[in-house]
Amino acid sequence: MKHSKSILAGLILVAAVIALTIGYTAFSTSTRVTTLSGYAGGEKIGFLEDPETTELLQKKYHLKLDYSKAGSLDMVTADQTGRDFLWPSSQTALEYYKQAVGKPVKSEIIFNTPIVLYTRKAVCDALMKKGIVSTDGTVYRIDMKQLAALISSGTSWADIGLTQLYGNITVGTTDPTKSNSGNMFAGILANTLAGGIANEQNIDDVLPELQDIFSRLGYMESSSSDIFDQFLRTGMGAKPLIAGYESQLLEFAAENPDIWSQISGDVIMLYPTPTAWSSHVFIATDEAAVPAIEALQDRDLQKLAWEKHGFRTGVSGAAADTGAFTGINLAANVDSVVPLPDYPTMAKIIAALRNNS
Amino acid sequence: MTKKTLLSLLACLCLLPALLLGGCGSTDGSGSGSGGATVLGSGSKKLRIVSGSENKELEPILSDYANQNHLSIEMTYMGSLDIMRALEQDDFPYDAVWPASSIWLNAGDENLHRVKHAESISITPVVFGIKKSKAESLGFVGKDVMVSDILEKISGGELKFCMTSATQSNSGASAYIGFLYALSGHPDVLTSADLDDRTMQENMRGLLSGVDRSSGSSDWLKDMFLAGDYDAMVNYECLMISANNELVKEGKEPLYIVYPSDGLALADSPLGYIDHGDSDTEQRFLDFQNYLLSAECQSKIQRTGRRSGYTGINPENKDVFNTDWGCQPDRVLSTFKMPDTATLAKALTLYQTALRKPSLSIYCIDYSGSMSGEGNERLVEAMQQLLIQENAQKNYLQASPDDVNILIAFSDWIQDEFRAEGNGKELDALFEDVQNEGIGGGTNMYLALDQALSDLSEYDLSRYTAAIILMTDGVSADYYDDFKKAYEQSGCTVPVFSILYGDADDSQLQQLAQLTNGRVFDGRKDLTEAFRKVKGYN
Repeated sequence: MKHSKSILAGLILVAAVIALTIGYTAFSTSTRVTTLSGYAGGEKIGFLEDPETTELLQKKYHLKLDYSKAGSLDMVTADQTGRDFLWPSSQTALEYYKQAVGKPVKSEIIFNTPIVLYTRKAVCDALMKKGIVSTDGTVYRIDMKQLAALISSGTSWADIGLTQLYGNITVGTTDPTKSNSGNMFAGILANTLAGGIANEQNIDDVLPELQDIFSRLGYMESSSSDIFDQFLRTGMGAKPLIAGYESQLLEFAAENPDIWSQISGDVIMLYPTPTAWSSHVFIATDEAAVPAIEALQDRDLQKLAWEKHGFRTGVSGAAADTGAFTGINLAANVDSVVPLPDYPTMAKIIAALRNNS
Repeated sequence: MTKKTLLSLLACLCLLPALLLGGCGSTDGSGSGSGGATVLGSGSKKLRIVSGSENKELEPILSDYANQNHLSIEMTYMGSLDIMRALEQDDFPYDAVWPASSIWLNAGDENLHRVKHAESISITPVVFGIKKSKAESLGFVGKDVMVSDILEKISGGELKFCMTSATQSNSGASAYIGFLYALSGHPDVLTSADLDDRTMQENMRGLLSGVDRSSGSSDWLKDMFLAGDYDAMVNYECLMISANNELVKEGKEPLYIVYPSDGLALADSPLGYIDHGDSDTEQRFLDFQNYLLSAECQSKIQRTGRRSGYTGINPENKDVFNTDWGCQPDRVLSTFKMPDTATLAKALTLYQTALRKPSLSIYCIDYSGSMSGEGNERLVEAMQQLLIQENAQKNYLQASPDDVNILIAFSDWIQDEFRAEGNGKELDALFEDVQNEGIGGGTNMYLALDQALSDLSEYDLSRYTAAIILMTDGVSADYYDDFKKAYEQSGCTVPVFSILYGDADDSQLQQLAQLTNGRVFDGRKDLTEAFRKVKGYN
């Protein structure tokens, strides 16, 4: 009696397990998540790692983006076996991809952010005294032409009153032959020196001075996120003035409000005149990655990208709302934006800087 | 710059060769032997970290975290060169990587792009530490000092100092690059042309002749400094503070810290995650990293003499950076510019092959019966990496024209002695000798060591970085007291670096390390690796 009861209980258990298994299989098939693998620039990692981002992509679009960090230009030539997408930070990288690999399955600009310079209050004050930096009380602008002249002439920090800093004035950038922010900064400098948009005709006149400026930089970081992290952590002595993206400080302030409130008086964002947009263009290298383009343009995701990660989007209209950030010298509208030189010109710049050493 | 140049550069700097067996005087062979990891905490969830050995000082902090979170944190200490190489391999059996400088992280990850979430955990500058009375007499106290001021005193013979090898250790490389700037008249950025300047080369050679002792590891340089009697060293600020705490405890004179006003180098200690596709481990890593970066933990890290945080040193930790020792907690750490990688590679080759103080290496090698077969094969492989120059080049261990290499082959008698002066064919011939030497008999390493002492007496040791490199696989009859007497009578301070192999007696080798301010290296798992590391110390 007791024996047959336990057999019955066993059968019920087996049936329950089978039912659960069938149910689970059906459920997981309907919500199966496609994992896409690719390369992304370091400055977008905060966005990609944000639990709200991953949750929204997974729940609404059944997508998971698995990435490796790589410089925007490096990723074009990196081994792309098993990779579904590249997400560099510029149109130049897309053009480079078209040259090196071919036409992508699909590509689309997802975010924009301007190139800015970051510095410390003491440096900003010294540059203001020289008339290189100006402010309307909120936004700080730096005149690229005067800055280039200061660097080219071998002026030291001490010469502009910063005796605590050793060496000559330079701008720290990532390696322009590998990473986008350094590359774009080189493009902006080329535009500045050419007095407009540098092109294939006038670039040769500009290259010697451009090479001279970059030859003064020595070892260059390969990632925009690394150089920004070092700017904040190693202090004014190691990185008095660097080039980066506007989004980087906005994201840092949103993610670390306590730290930001302690250092906001000392860290200054400078908008170069002229500057350029870094366009974060998503390149689908196979069909599987195409749905990610639509997903990344999701209204909620774009709002999140601005408010938590500082990427201007232009889709939701949220970009104009600077109220989300406090204590940052943020411009509601970025003006003095000049297009970067076209790809053949940028290729010449990259080649010249690659042969610099 | 070509990839080859970069790779050769990468193959050149090794911050803190670890995988070593204990420190000077240590008799504990467990936990830090070749391939072994130091396990902190006893939880079932693991976090496997490859780390520079300077992070050993953070173990109490890591251990507390591991215990509170039921983790086992496995710390495998490696030099940055090894970390960089490990990162280049497809198989990387660790969850995280924590070298002393982000240069190695970026370099090792250049092709595979596996490192995620890298964040600098702390900052420490490379500085000079000079006995306070000496610093006072040289006029270095309480004022701005430039590298050239220090170099002047060294060149004038008023100051001798210890530094790590520029081709093996980050602190040594940083100091050397700083010297190059000073001797080249402070260019914006050091260039290849600056390195070709003959006068600069001569001055640098003169300068490096003032190096008292060398080392392959910054951490061990500090230990060696404490065990010996030296005037000055170049090292990380945090290790100077740690050395001073020891010195004060022993009632000895502390070091006065000098921050050259013409630029410092900073070590930024980045901790990064290696993705093996396990999200639990990733979360565990992120929690750990968040803890290290929390205000609470950053304050604890500051207590170890490291700078950290976005806002400088916390008021409650300023006392660690004792201003009586010359520490400047509020100083703006202005850096010189590291040259581009091609120039850096050239500078290091120049150091290794031409400018450093010549090495006088006496290899006392065990050819006793037990070495026959595998032991001898491993030995030949290892010596091939050091003596055949195209192999040595991969690790920036090339010989210079003035180097002297002596081989004493021993068993229970001195079987043979061979000598190679120079860096040409004589080294190939020496390698032939290593291969052809007969094997047999018992073991008496003390005989070989006595012979080494007598060889050393033939040389003007002030001209060389000298070392006795002893490899043995057996237990010798105890003639330690006789050797001790002979060593002390000789008046020389040449270290014995021993390589433990086979059934060698660790305690016998530790005795020698203690007597001579040397070190024991464990060659049982990888003899080539052990020889490579030893050579980095000389």
